Amino acid sequence: MSLAAGLAESTVRLATPLLLAAMGEIIAERSGVLNLGVEGMMLVGALAGFIGTIVTGSAWIGFFIGMGAGALLALLHAVLCISLKTDQVVSGIMLTLLGTGLTTYFGRGWVGGNIDGFGRLTIPVLSEIPIIGFALFSITPLDYLTLLMVPVVWYFLFRTNIGAEITAVGEDPETADTAGIPVFRIQYACVLLGGVFAGAAGAQLSLAFTNFWATEMTAGRGWIAVALVIFAQWRIWQVLVGAYFFAAIDALSFRTGGSVGDVLLGQEALATVANFLVNPQVMQTYPYIATILVLWYVMRQGNLNELGAPSSLLTPYSREQD
Amino acid sequence: MFSVDVSSRESLPRWVEYSLPLLTVVAALGVSAIPLAWLGVSPLQSYREIFVSNPTNIRGIANILVTTVPLFLAGLAVYLPLRAGLWNIGAEGQLFVGAIVGSAIALNLSWPAYALLPAMFLFAGIAGGLYGAIPGYLRAKHNVNEIISSLMLTFTATTFAGYLLRGPMQGEGGQSATEQLPTAARLPTVGHPRLHVGVVALVIVAVLGYLLLNRTRLGYEITLIGANPASAVQSGISKYKTYVLVFVIGGSLAGLAGIIEIAGVHGRLFEEFSPEYGFTAIAVALLGRNGVFQVLLAALFFGVITAGGTTIAVTQNVPTAIINVIVALTILFLLTAEFIKDHRLTISFDRSSGTGDRGMEEVS
Repeated sequence: MSLAAGLAESTVRLATPLLLAAMGEIIAERSGVLNLGVEGMMLVGALAGFIGTIVTGSAWIGFFIGMGAGALLALLHAVLCISLKTDQVVSGIMLTLLGTGLTTYFGRGWVGGNIDGFGRLTIPVLSEIPIIGFALFSITPLDYLTLLMVPVVWYFLFRTNIGAEITAVGEDPETADTAGIPVFRIQYACVLLGGVFAGAAGAQLSLAFTNFWATEMTAGRGWIAVALVIFAQWRIWQVLVGAYFFAAIDALSFRTGGSVGDVLLGQEALATVANFLVNPQVMQTYPYIATILVLWYVMRQGNLNELGAPSSLLTPYSREQD
Repeated sequence: MFSVDVSSRESLPRWVEYSLPLLTVVAALGVSAIPLAWLGVSPLQSYREIFVSNPTNIRGIANILVTTVPLFLAGLAVYLPLRAGLWNIGAEGQLFVGAIVGSAIALNLSWPAYALLPAMFLFAGIAGGLYGAIPGYLRAKHNVNEIISSLMLTFTATTFAGYLLRGPMQGEGGQSATEQLPTAARLPTVGHPRLHVGVVALVIVAVLGYLLLNRTRLGYEITLIGANPASAVQSGISKYKTYVLVFVIGGSLAGLAGIIEIAGVHGRLFEEFSPEYGFTAIAVALLGRNGVFQVLLAALFFGVITAGGTTIAVTQNVPTAIINVIVALTILFLLTAEFIKDHRLTISFDRSSGTGDRGMEEVS
């Protein structure tokens, strides 16, 4: 496999969990509920999916169990933030702490186990297209499914009535309520759906990427998904681009070996700087820095609405106040 | 089917008000008993060790105090901006930056202790403060959400620490850790080999923090901005200055927490030196949000759990992750309790008897 083809292949596979988690996060946030528990929900999904696969012997059943586990943690977030109107930031962070704690605690006995998980599904002919063929047509069913979900989620959010209702709830819950939209039910559904996606993202990691369970194996991908939503300014197609951008950085950081050589364009100093910038660990910080820069750039230009952020994000809706 | 009727309430029965925090903790411990029992460990035995036997022996007390230091300082790093109405979710990152800069000074200067330690603390504090200033500035100047930026900066710092510890700052032995700090850079201990003098920071910072918030102009402005930003600005208080300052002070406290942890406890910098102090700090600030001394008490409470949890991890052979579970559950129950405090819940089991009021949610 050539370097470019290898890079494309890892990028596609690394983008899957980011895409899944970020799509779930977009759905939740568009209904006005920030979910900082993604990392915890992914971990719970990864462990539950792994155990489910071992116990039932089926990776698909394991995958669904992983999604269910993510939804279960999301249910807690929904009850706290929507019904009890607690602070979304605190609740989310504590759920990540809880998810990390629980999976580390219960996952100890499962470290070191291996499963077959999801195998590659190679489509003949198409997979022989140079460079991108192997990356796009010789991946696991979950990777295909995720790519398929991108237009589905886009259509759901931006072209259906329910999608419009979600937007209405996220922008102005009071008006939405007056118009007869079931605000609480929609927010609950969106947060739960976000949990399902996060659980799926985690299960994808343990079932189709590593095929084993390791403590804190999501390695911050849940946080990158949160960053990605902001980076993409709450838009699905930008999430797709952003996920590939972040995944490409990740894939590249494994392959550069952290060096471009001793001299660059005849300059040693330039090479030193370049070597620093392509260092695998340094490259891991790029998604976070890029997100801050995007946020900063957009906020300098205008306001949060132009950013695409739902107006009622972080504000619990309560009918009692009026 | 039953419906839950929710309405705000003005006053609270006194017994509920006083017993709520206690009930919160009891509920969290009750649920945490499940994972303990799951691994065949007696929850009662574990809790007795955490809350009775550990805090009553000198080694246990030393561990608790030493653990409380970073929790308190980082807790204040969250609490100060919270007073001004801002969320500093990035205490963990500021703590890392302080630890990195302080360790770098300790490893590169061969000064005697009386010069080296102050230099380490000074620059760790400055570094943490500057790192904290970024989200404060971005929020004050461009209205960039400080929750997101401080969170992103945390992962930037912890990831970058990974680079430093496998690159420029890596010590011998191939681990992702620095060399041992020189003896001059270690905090002296008092009474017990684990009890470093950094614990005096608990008293000093608590008093200074109290004075700052309750006896100075800045403290007054912080509280006013937090209570009502619009009227505070009306009365001539600079939002910009206050926002940046709370983050700078908070960040420098978190930075100090980082270097105290390295110089006092570990003796060298490594990637996992902080068991998520910066995130537990959010719990600390929330539990103690009524004042600086309450923050200290909250830090002490989580210090007892953290130190005790580390002890039972050894004696009962359970993963230390149980600490995170208890901390998270305590806060989740606290959030629930807050709601009960502010609302009257009436559960009616006959669906038709629930009023037709639109303020209700159906639970099936």
